[in-house]
Amino acid sequence: MTTAISVEGLTRCFGGRRGVTDVTFEVNVGEVFGFLGPNGAGKSTTIRLLLGLYPPTSGRTRIFDLDPTIDAVKVLGRVGYVPGELALYPRLTGGQHLDYAAQVRGMADHAYRDELVARFQADLDRPVRALSKGNRQKIGLVLAFMHRPDLLVLDEPTSGLDPLLQDEFVHLVHETVAEGRTVFLSSHELNEVQRVVDRVTIIKDGRIVVTDTVEGLRSTAPRTIELRFAHPVDPARFAGLTGVRVLHQETDRLTLSVTGPVAPLLSAAGELEAVDVTARRADLDELFLAFYRNTPETAAHAS
Amino acid sequence: MRADTTRLDLRIRRRSLIGYTIGIAIYAITIVALYPSFKSDTSLNKLTEHGNAVAAIFGASGPLTSPTGWLDANLYANFVPLIILLVTVGYGAASIAGQDEDGTLGLVATLPTSRRRLVAEKFAAMCLLALPAALATMLCVLAGVGFELHVDFAHLAGATLGVLLLGIDFGALAMLIGAATGSRGTALGTTAAIAAAAYIISSLSPVVSWIHPLRYASPFFYAVGDSQLANGISAGSAGALVGLAALLAIASNRAFRRLDIH
Repeated sequence: MTTAISVEGLTRCFGGRRGVTDVTFEVNVGEVFGFLGPNGAGKSTTIRLLLGLYPPTSGRTRIFDLDPTIDAVKVLGRVGYVPGELALYPRLTGGQHLDYAAQVRGMADHAYRDELVARFQADLDRPVRALSKGNRQKIGLVLAFMHRPDLLVLDEPTSGLDPLLQDEFVHLVHETVAEGRTVFLSSHELNEVQRVVDRVTIIKDGRIVVTDTVEGLRSTAPRTIELRFAHPVDPARFAGLTGVRVLHQETDRLTLSVTGPVAPLLSAAGELEAVDVTARRADLDELFLAFYRNTPETAAHAS
Repeated sequence: MRADTTRLDLRIRRRSLIGYTIGIAIYAITIVALYPSFKSDTSLNKLTEHGNAVAAIFGASGPLTSPTGWLDANLYANFVPLIILLVTVGYGAASIAGQDEDGTLGLVATLPTSRRRLVAEKFAAMCLLALPAALATMLCVLAGVGFELHVDFAHLAGATLGVLLLGIDFGALAMLIGAATGSRGTALGTTAAIAAAAYIISSLSPVVSWIHPLRYASPFFYAVGDSQLANGISAGSAGALVGLAALLAIASNRAFRRLDIH
């Protein structure tokens, strides 16, 4: 079996409120799959549907070929989950939370759990209410990873963690997929996702906008090109070119966003005697913002 | 079966449970210890003569100076059910709806446990939570032999069972409303209103003729409203309370299956 998650036409309505509509994607075993979208786009709703916390209005969800609303126990036994807003029992200690989860999961071997506690320097002895957000998040990460689940579903997993621990988290994700396990990583923090994911899907307003590899997205993403001229130029000369958008203009300097071939732009720049050019490959960040803004380029890409 | 979730919920409520138990024990032993001072005060019985509705509202009907009359009017017809309902209804509303509002239910529900099992474990926790206050009261009443207060043990045990089942019934109702709506406030408010109405019906039924036939609709009647301390609890009454609890548990399970957990 090569598919960890398979979602087809998944729709959930909440009365009049929009939930998610016709969500379709597949996550392969052994990959890190990024699930990106602005706040309120439907990321957490989709995740709760994946875990069987919400029954769907329509559509099909399979986790390791099992329906999470029917075979919840089997599915959840193979899944580790960090919720977007981690809520723990305020009066219990981190250790008590871990013990409870370990008992329900029937875990006998605590060596890996102890290793994770040490790596994240999680405080297990104080009641959770006395812990900072970051320290609580560490407990949440240990809860999700400690039983070496086949699939990790992580909703904004590093919120509140300092950069060192974010690095530790990235290591952990790499180790996890190196063992052939699967990570589904939802985030709006693009930098974090960019570092670890193989493929990414972007959700907006409850619908999937695009699913592609990071490289694939980059190759079609708008690049930013900056031109400097010896004398002032008229930006209309560039604005008229296909796939070119003027982002910024100073007297002798133009910043352009370009999708598609650059030859027309370069010849225009040559005619106007450009003296300098810098081109930057778009990172996921800009791409994501482009999708988020729903600019014409985005629409072209999405279609 | 390890019942980890039952134990988790009991641990969370341990402190408040100890508080309730100590509180009711102090109150019960005070009532018991006061009995010798009032047992010969026959003027007290005037309070409930000729069907005094005000006394009935507070749970007092019949002679107050008999051991069972004294205990009914001061403990079993009012205060003990109140405390046990506070415990069970509070937990019933918190166990599903409250924990979902807090977000902690999501933690529990994403562990490999079925929803049916979660409801069963939470129901078990509710039954166990009702026990300490009921048993503490019973023990205090048994200590009444030292205060000239003699009650039949079997009848006392029956009344104790009655208030326990009463608490479980209303706790299960709160659990059901919580599982159906996902709202702790709705569960608490609705259950409290229904319990208050049921209490009034059962307490006033001996003195208000038009309410009298309604008493069969009130769980209080089957638990404490039918002279259970004097006569014990009938199998029919216990059966009605158990049957209601079972129905509510089944309904909670069905409602919980459809609940969106956050």
